[in-house]
Parts: sequence; C-alpha cells; structure tokens
Amino acid sequence: MSLPRYLLQRLFHGALLLLGVTLLSFTLMVQFGPDTAFELAGKNTTEAQLEELRRSLGHDRPFLERYARWLGELARGDLGASDSNGEPVDRLIGRALPVTLALVLPGFLLGNVLGLLLGMLAAWYRQGAWDRLVLGGSVAGLSLSFLVVIIALQVLLCTPYGLDLFPTRGWRVDGIGSYLLYVTVPTLALVIVTLGYNTRFYRAVMVEELARDPVRTARAFGASGREVMFTHVLRNGAVPVLTRLLYSIPLVLVSGSLLLETYFGIPGVGKVAFDAITSGDQPVLLAVVTLTAVMFVAVQLLTDAACRLADPRYGAP
Amino acid sequence: MKPDSTLTLALAVLILTLLTACSREPGEADTPESKTYVHAMDGAPGSLDPAQASSIYANFLVVNLYDTLFRYRYLARPYELAPNLAAGLPEVSDDGLTFTIALKRGVRFVDDPAFPDGTGREVTAGDVVYSLLRHFDPDSRAQGAWLWQDRIVGLDAWKTAGADYDAPPEGLRALDDHTLQIRLVQPYPQLIHTLAQGYAAVVPREAVEAYGIELGTRSVGSGPFRLVSIDRARAVMARNPGFREEPVSLAAEGYAAARDGDWGLEAIEGRTPPFVDRIEVEFITEDAARWNSFYAGETHFIKAPVAQFERILEDRDPLRLTPELAERFHADAEPESGFVYTAFNMDDPAIGDPEDPGQAARNRALRCAMAKGFDWETRNRQFYGGVGQVFPGVIPPVVPEFDPGMDRSPVVHDPEGARRLLAEHGWTAENLPELTWGYPASVSERQMFEQFRGFMADIGYPPEKLLPRVYATFGDYHRAYSRGELSLVTTGWTMDYPDAENTLQLFFGPNASPGSNVGNFRDPTFDALYREAAPLPPSTERTRLFRAMNRRVIEECAAITGLNRNLLMLWSREVIMRPDRSFIGGYGFRFVDLAAPTAL
Repeated sequence: MSLPRYLLQRLFHGALLLLGVTLLSFTLMVQFGPDTAFELAGKNTTEAQLEELRRSLGHDRPFLERYARWLGELARGDLGASDSNGEPVDRLIGRALPVTLALVLPGFLLGNVLGLLLGMLAAWYRQGAWDRLVLGGSVAGLSLSFLVVIIALQVLLCTPYGLDLFPTRGWRVDGIGSYLLYVTVPTLALVIVTLGYNTRFYRAVMVEELARDPVRTARAFGASGREVMFTHVLRNGAVPVLTRLLYSIPLVLVSGSLLLETYFGIPGVGKVAFDAITSGDQPVLLAVVTLTAVMFVAVQLLTDAACRLADPRYGAP
Repeated sequence: MKPDSTLTLALAVLILTLLTACSREPGEADTPESKTYVHAMDGAPGSLDPAQASSIYANFLVVNLYDTLFRYRYLARPYELAPNLAAGLPEVSDDGLTFTIALKRGVRFVDDPAFPDGTGREVTAGDVVYSLLRHFDPDSRAQGAWLWQDRIVGLDAWKTAGADYDAPPEGLRALDDHTLQIRLVQPYPQLIHTLAQGYAAVVPREAVEAYGIELGTRSVGSGPFRLVSIDRARAVMARNPGFREEPVSLAAEGYAAARDGDWGLEAIEGRTPPFVDRIEVEFITEDAARWNSFYAGETHFIKAPVAQFERILEDRDPLRLTPELAERFHADAEPESGFVYTAFNMDDPAIGDPEDPGQAARNRALRCAMAKGFDWETRNRQFYGGVGQVFPGVIPPVVPEFDPGMDRSPVVHDPEGARRLLAEHGWTAENLPELTWGYPASVSERQMFEQFRGFMADIGYPPEKLLPRVYATFGDYHRAYSRGELSLVTTGWTMDYPDAENTLQLFFGPNASPGSNVGNFRDPTFDALYREAAPLPPSTERTRLFRAMNRRVIEECAAITGLNRNLLMLWSREVIMRPDRSFIGGYGFRFVDLAAPTAL
C-alpha cells in the first residue's frame, strides 16, 4: 500500500476513534460527572434556581440532543465557553497551549536526548560498570516522586533556604532571559523524573538491536563503536524510539505539565485541565479531552509516516 | 532536508512558541517609579461578574474593579459601614420600609469598547437598579438572589413576569439619575450590608449586553482599579486613573493607635487612594508553593499555611514571630468571619428528628453524645495550628451578638458524659446506626474524618459504622448533602456580613436543603424566634432573641459546633497596610501603599 493511501486509511480510523472518544467522554461527564448547577449555585439556593441554572447551561435537554449540539459546535470550531467564568474555551486553550509548549519542550527534549544517550551507553557496556551505574541511577530517578522533586528544587534553588537563584513560581516571560529564568527549575524537575523511565526504555531497545544480525555483521566488518551505535543500532531502533517520543507528546502536554504548572503557578493547559476537573467545568474538560484525542490521532499519523520513512517494512501486510 | 535547515526550523518553532507564550501584556511593564503590590491568595476566583461573586476570592477582586453603594471602614472593628458610591448613609422611613439612597455625582465607568464611543459614562441610579435586577434574571446565572428574595416589593413578581429591565419593579426604582429608592416588604436591617457586597457591585448594562457571560473575565466598573489581565494563575489590576478623589481620614476609617500604630498607616493620612499603581493577585492554592514564594520575597502578603506555624511562630499567645521573620514581616491574627461545624441531617431517621417521640428523644441523646465526644481543642491543635477559637453554638466571636460569658460546657470534651448518655438511652455498639460522613477528596478532609472516627470510637461508636463518602469535587459534595444523602455534613460558613443573622439563618427551617440549612433543622421554636428577630435593627432585644436561638441549636444538638479559625496573616514590612482576609477584606486594597517603589 502506498504511503498516501496508508495515511488516508489511518486518518479514517482516527476520525472514528475521535468520534468514539468524544462520545465516551461526553457520556461519562454527563452521566457521572459533577452537576455543574451545584457548582454554580449560590449559598442559599432553591430547587427552582437549580432548574434555572440547568436550563441556562442546556443541561435540561435530552442526552443525544446535547451531544449532537456539542458535536455540531465542535465541527464548526466552537468549543463553547467555560462554565466557571464564561471565557471562550478556544481562547482559554489558545492562550494556555503555547505556555505549556514553552514550559515542557526543553525538559521533554533534554529528558529524551539524555535518556537515549545514557541508554546507548548502558547497552554498549551491558553488564559492565557503566551499565550498573546508569541502571542504578535510573531506578533512583524512578523512585522519586514528582511532587517531592518539585518542592525540593523550589526550596533548594528558589528560596533563601537554598541558593535563591530563580523565581519560586510564575510565568512573567517577555524575552529569552526571563524565559530561561522561569523555565530552568521546571525543566530540571521534568528531566529528573523522566530520565529514569527514558533511560531504561532506550537501553532495552538498544540491547535488543545490538543483538541483531546486521549489527553483528557490521562489527565483523570492523565498524567502529560509534558507527555501530549511531548508524546501525539507532537507525534500526528508530521505530520504537520514534513511537515512544511521539506518543509521549499528548501526555506530556496535558498530564505531564499538570503538577509543574500547579506548583510553579504557570497558566498552561495542565492547570486549565486541573481547574476544570476540580470545578466540574464540562466545556473546558471536553475540550481538553478532545484536544488530547486529536493530538493522539495526529501523533499516530505522524508516527506511522515517520516509521514508514525510517523502516519501509513498517506497516507492511 | 539538510541537518542545518532542520535545526533552523526547530529553532524557529521554539522562538515562535516562546513569543506566543509571553505573558506580559502591552502596557503591563513596570516603570522605575511604579508601585506594585503583590498579594497571594490561597484560591482563585471563578467569575469576575459581580452577579457571580460568590467566593471570597472573587469578591476581593470585584469590590476593587466595581463600585458598591457602601463599603466597610478600613480599620474599624467591629466592622462599620461607610458610604462608597452612595453620597451618604441611606435615609430610612420611620416604618423602616423605604430606603432612599443618594449617589455621588461625576463617578464614571472606566473607558471600554462596550460603550458607544468607547468612553466610560457616568454611573447612575439606573445602573444600580439594573445590577440588582440581574440577580433575578433567569438567564444571568446570578448567585445573589437569596439576599433580596421576598424582601423587595415586586421583585419576585418582576422575575415571573419575564424579567423586563425596562419595567423595574415597584420596590426598586431610580427616582432620578442620582437617587435610588428601595421599598421593602418588611424591615430588613441587613439590607445596607447586602449593598456592600460584590453581588451588589454596579455594572453598566452596555457591558453585560456586549460581553454576556464573558464578563466573567473582564471588568467594566468604576472601582479604584481596572483589570489588566486574568488567567488561572494570577490577576493584574492597574490603578483606575479616573477614580474619584477622596482623601483618607484615618479617624474616619476607625484608626486606633494602640492597635494599628505599628504598621505605618499614618503615612496615608490625607492622601488620595489608590496608592499603588498595580496590584498583582497570585492564586497559589498549594501551601508549600505559597510559603516559598512569600519567603523568597516574591509576594508581599500571605495567609500563613497552618503547616508553617511551628516554623514561623515563637509564641502563639500573644502572637510572636521568630526574630528572623519579625525583621522582615509584620504579623497579625484575625478571627475568621465565620466558623466550621458539622451539622446532623435532621431528615435522616437514623440521627435526625423522626415523628416517633421516643425515637426522636433517643436520636437527640445520640447527637448530644457525639457532640460531647468531639474534641474541639484537639481538632484546633492538629488542623488549625492551635490558634482557632472554640466557642459554643453558632454565633461566632467576630459578631457583636457573641456572648463571651456563655456556658462553655457544650464544647468541652466529655467522653465519659457521652458514654453515660448513650447508655441511659439504650444505645449500644450493636444498635448504634450506620452514619455517613461526606467530604470532597483531599488528604486533610480524610484526616479530619479519621480523627472524628477516633473521637467517636472513644465513646463506644464502632468505627465501621461511620462510613466515609468521598466526592471528586465540592459540587458533588454539595449535591450529595443537598439531596440529604449524608448523615453528617461538615462545612464552613464564611459570613457575608458581620451580623449574627447570617449564621443563624443556617438553621432556619425554610432555608433547608438545597438552601444553606444543610442539616435541615426545622425547629418551630427556633423559627418563631428567627421570624421575630428578622425585622429588628441591632438592639438589646434582638441580641436576646439571637442568643435564645443559639441556645436552641445547642439544646437540640443540631450540630457539632463550633470553631472560629484564626487566620495568621503575614506581610512585608515595606508594605503599609492592615490586611483583612474576610469576605469584606477586598476593600482594603485601595489603602495599600508601599514605602518606596519596589520591583519584586
């Protein structure tokens, strides 16, 4: 199957997946989610006022009508308005998404590049001292709670209890200098907690690739260690590496940034999602879930295309 | 694609991302001479629309962005009302039913595109009428109707007749552009307090029609500040250059040298507020992050997290900071305007007030035994840093009707008495009912429940019969207790105004769920007293009635109550202010000053 046709087929599957995800999430939120009327009700409310609120929110309509209406609005690019403060959801997410991207991008890249390099190092010296050192460090990293890392770094690097080098929290970015000031500590936190996972994963991939016939042949031909690792092993291991990298993006953008944004007071998507969960803000939650699903579908397409380019055997029947 | 071009593309994407992620808005930058006060809040507002200003957090901002007819004097304690947008206190008819309020002239809304020419117009009495009517408009999602419902002539009928703003009700009229008249169904002494709340802040109709529900993230008011930006992490307000000139008189604001003399407030005497150019309000819900930010000097004010009390206090009575902190910060403990309590659900036959008199008496004994078994002092020590004030009943120490000489036995931990009471009424571990206790999911809420279970185990209540019900959000919890699904409802009440009526209405029968009477207490004696006291202005007679109601709640053991949380507030020594974190505290922002222009 040609690549365009293959991607078209995947796109069709992705659209079905999106429909399924939206239906499932809408059902869960409507049937089991919080009753927003109670969230918005005043202190001394009455049943009549609760009914008015439900009517105003459109929650008095039948489920299918609500879903069809929401889907129609979604198709027109209208994500509705936040139940909490009335802000259009597209504006809310449009403002938060670049902040999250700028926040997690350095940590994501560093965590993966360092993890890949350490994984390669450990795999090359498998069973040796380097391997044990890297694996030991990885296990230590895996054992650390994200929250503990964040608080420890905040205290050590951002307060007079420690070095007091960076702002404790906030996002007052107006140039590269202030960006570095605000992004460094969150980046360090992200790298510390993801490095262990990444290193172990990449090590496993590299170990598997190192044992394959083409690599043995290359070594028999006298290829240098660097040539073996970067030309043969890394290329042959591209499929799992790319898959992991790309599939991490939606999770890192939404859930991965949640704690960072909450503790560092950064107004990104994770904080938006967290606030929507705690306040039962359904339009925002639905938008975040849909956005995550869209990202997964997009990433799936991107991964398929990248893997097909990296390895023509990928996806072949 | 060559590696060079790949790298260039990646850099371009990164720079583009950074540019769009910049958080500073045009005109937001500080100048060397500007004064910026940074205030940390332990929660975030929902909507900034005054009609939805139901939380402390929203109210703090709303009363600074908009005008209310009245406000509270900055320093006066007990709280005292003062004119704000109103030209003076209202003229009240002899029968107490008609309030005539004159408005200040020349007060203008801030410039905004919502106005035809983008220029803010004068605030009129018609705007006040419009703003109050919004609470009765079914489409406005307003939350303050309960303050005026069944109180103002024709208001409820106005709603059922279709909520036509062009035909206001008889009892709420603008006599002219600068005179408002309110006619009441019966005397309502708290009316003037309600007109000092964020709910009663004055919005122009043009803004509501232009922005609809988006008004929740904008402001088109006439308050001392205007909104620059708001997101999930902070709000930025800038001085409203058109705010009316009203120099400060410390004496008029209730200044008392013995109490307020250490805070440098004399520096604002005779000057015209607001004094700072910008106020940044950081919403920091996590205690550790809030403290770290304050300690690092990034915020000027903090309500100290209880977890830090050990570290920051050298002594609690009298309150004294450690020497290191005292050099940098002022501290003050303020009694919370409200209290925490656990109401028994009187509609639950297992614990409430069933029709069978024998069972009702046994249930009452069970409730009283549980109240005796509850150890408020331990609760205070472990969850409120030991600085809370335990008091009997539901009239907290912050209001004038509080009786300091009241018998304290209802809040004395008496497990022996509780066991005896249970035994006298035939309650045994076997026949004690299963009771449910709900809470929104959080570690501290769970800890409080487990502590309660421990207290009850001590009086012989089997822990397995006290069942936790955990809810994902406060709204879910609210729904559960509003539907009578819980036997015990633990909650806190933040007072809307400093009048004991505001806490006593929590036990008034007609306010039963989904109203604020979460325990569905329906006691004819209490209700009769409440109705008798309702039209009375503050007086000895009213206080007597209030205290009688308080005793009824205690006698019937309608709730395990109560604790007044003392809030420990710390602020930087470079800031000149007297903070107040209560519902009405937002009015203090206009009086905040910095000793010198400061860049944090």
